Amino acid sequence: MRADMLTSVLTELNGTSGDIEASGVISTDGLMIASVLPAGMDEDRVGAMSAAMLSLGDRTAQELARGALEQVLIKGDKGYVLMTYAGAESVLTVLAKPNAKLGLIFLDVKRAAASIAELL
Amino acid sequence: MAQNFNELIMYSKTFSGLTPELEVCLKDIAPVITPHLKQVTDSFYEQLATIPAAEKYLAGRIEHLKAAHLKWMINLFELDVDAQFAEGMYKVGDIHVKVNLPVEFMAGAMTLINTEIIKLVIDKMGSDLDKCSKALQAINAVTGLALMIMQQSYQESSIAEELEKFLKISGMSRTLFTNLAKAYN
Repeated sequence: MRADMLTSVLTELNGTSGDIEASGVISTDGLMIASVLPAGMDEDRVGAMSAAMLSLGDRTAQELARGALEQVLIKGDKGYVLMTYAGAESVLTVLAKPNAKLGLIFLDVKRAAASIAELL
Repeated sequence: MAQNFNELIMYSKTFSGLTPELEVCLKDIAPVITPHLKQVTDSFYEQLATIPAAEKYLAGRIEHLKAAHLKWMINLFELDVDAQFAEGMYKVGDIHVKVNLPVEFMAGAMTLINTEIIKLVIDKMGSDLDKCSKALQAINAVTGLALMIMQQSYQESSIAEELEKFLKISGMSRTLFTNLAKAYN
């Protein structure tokens, strides 16, 4: 039931912009809780890598005196990976196209993260 | 990770060539050799004292180290070379990591020890070539086996220590690290 609700939030998030290619909710231990990923994408790797990156981001923000972590953004020539906390114990990861309008995506991701935090 | 000492000792024996016959030989020569091992220990630490890099590991604790070293050498001759023996040698390697002793110290030290023991064996048994030859084979095999186990433990303890450091720095939990590793198996 909860997984369905989370999937529904993710489906809605993916639908807010054509630039969002995939999204997932992951526990801070790296296990996928719910996801809307393209076929062929390894759920376990997306989950573990996202949680690891967020953990490193957390430590980096702390070590370099940047305050509480809001998000981790990775840019590659084939697109973006955006990770943010959705509550204290889970991570929302979004994959977006290279020409994505980040401002809008940030806003949608923030809203989705808040909804996910409530559900969890 | 829990170590299977039965497997470890069997595996180490295949490499060191420590046969049951040589194990018996070690116990046979123990009464002749062990009373003189204190000289080997003293000589070993005298040589260590000439190595500048060893100084910081010896300062203020020579007597304690000598006692542990002597006990370790006596064990090579008196104990059954079984799983318990492997566990003891494994702990030695682990301790060397905990005191940050460089890895080459173990192999280097074993060479120095062997040199001293060879002198001792030749001195005590040189008149009986067969006995002397078998004793040297047995000693070479058991010290080689001990070194192999200690180095394996050293390596595993070093990796575990490095991982702990990485987890602490990165803020990753052990569970997350395990899940990350599993995802790439």
